[in-house]
Amino acid sequence: MNIHINGKAYALGHENHISVSSALTLHFIEPQQSTFAVALNGDFVGKTDYDTTMVKNGDSLDVLQPIQGG
Amino acid sequence: MSLNIYGQNLDSRLLIGSALYPSPQVMKQAILASGSQVVTLSLKRQNPNEQSGQQIWHYLQEIVRQTNGHLLPNTAGCKTAKEAVTLAHMSREIFKTDWIKLEVIGDDYNLQPDPIELLHAAEQLIAEGFKVLPYCTDDLVICQRLYDLGCQVIMPWASPIGTGKGLMNPYNLETIRMRLPDATLILDAGIGKPSDACLAMEMGYDGVLLNSAVALADNPVLMAKAFGQALQAGEQGYVAGIMQERQTAHPSTPTLDTPFWHQNS
Repeated sequence: MNIHINGKAYALGHENHISVSSALTLHFIEPQQSTFAVALNGDFVGKTDYDTTMVKNGDSLDVLQPIQGG
Repeated sequence: MSLNIYGQNLDSRLLIGSALYPSPQVMKQAILASGSQVVTLSLKRQNPNEQSGQQIWHYLQEIVRQTNGHLLPNTAGCKTAKEAVTLAHMSREIFKTDWIKLEVIGDDYNLQPDPIELLHAAEQLIAEGFKVLPYCTDDLVICQRLYDLGCQVIMPWASPIGTGKGLMNPYNLETIRMRLPDATLILDAGIGKPSDACLAMEMGYDGVLLNSAVALADNPVLMAKAFGQALQAGEQGYVAGIMQERQTAHPSTPTLDTPFWHQNS
């Protein structure tokens, strides 16, 4: 299946779905070292739901971090 | 006198942004010099190869600790209520605050808020327990509707974000103050000079939120200090009671026993 994380395409072979936790390991080297929050297809996914929320073919994951703002 | 935001009393009436400074060090110095206890920040897509985001985050946490202050995450870049609501949830998880500076932009040219989407987002976020600080235009009815929804703080613009044009429509802003006497009114966006901030406070506004005016100054640290003082001057002027404007001149010096030739006329 194919998914996008922060706009970058990832091809994941023949899997039907993976958890948000697993998807994050594609993006991070060490997720626990970072401050971030996640949205799946534009909907917020809380940290407590990373293991049970599934990412499917065509889904888009946004991983956001703090920046300066006005 | 302190500024009250959703039950939190703050010594400073200045809310300040964390963007556009020449360096993180200058940002920290300027924010500390301003005396502000509320710092705005945002979220962006993470690049795991880029460490600057984490560095800024550490600076902002340090500022909050030193000032006993608060972070105010914004929903910059959102164009729909749904986007803003999602971003608010993400911010609440990261920053551990239910304060949200609600921005929903309706026009890319002047970054004017979309009042319809703004109202939808505010209604949903308030229902979900957020303390919403909406950035809006100087439209009295929109401000009234936001207040009626439960926004204790309303933040009309002075002029479009980043323009430094100051108070475009003083009449509108004064009318909002007069018609919403119990709302906490923060003038947000478009401030250019310390005198703009002072004028807002003289109108009876409760505070000012700005970023570019300090960050883009030749000396951001000195400008931050100037804004802090301008707000204090404006607030004290408002509290002291400003004299009524008059159409004709009135001599300040007593005319009784005026010396020389005036006595003979």
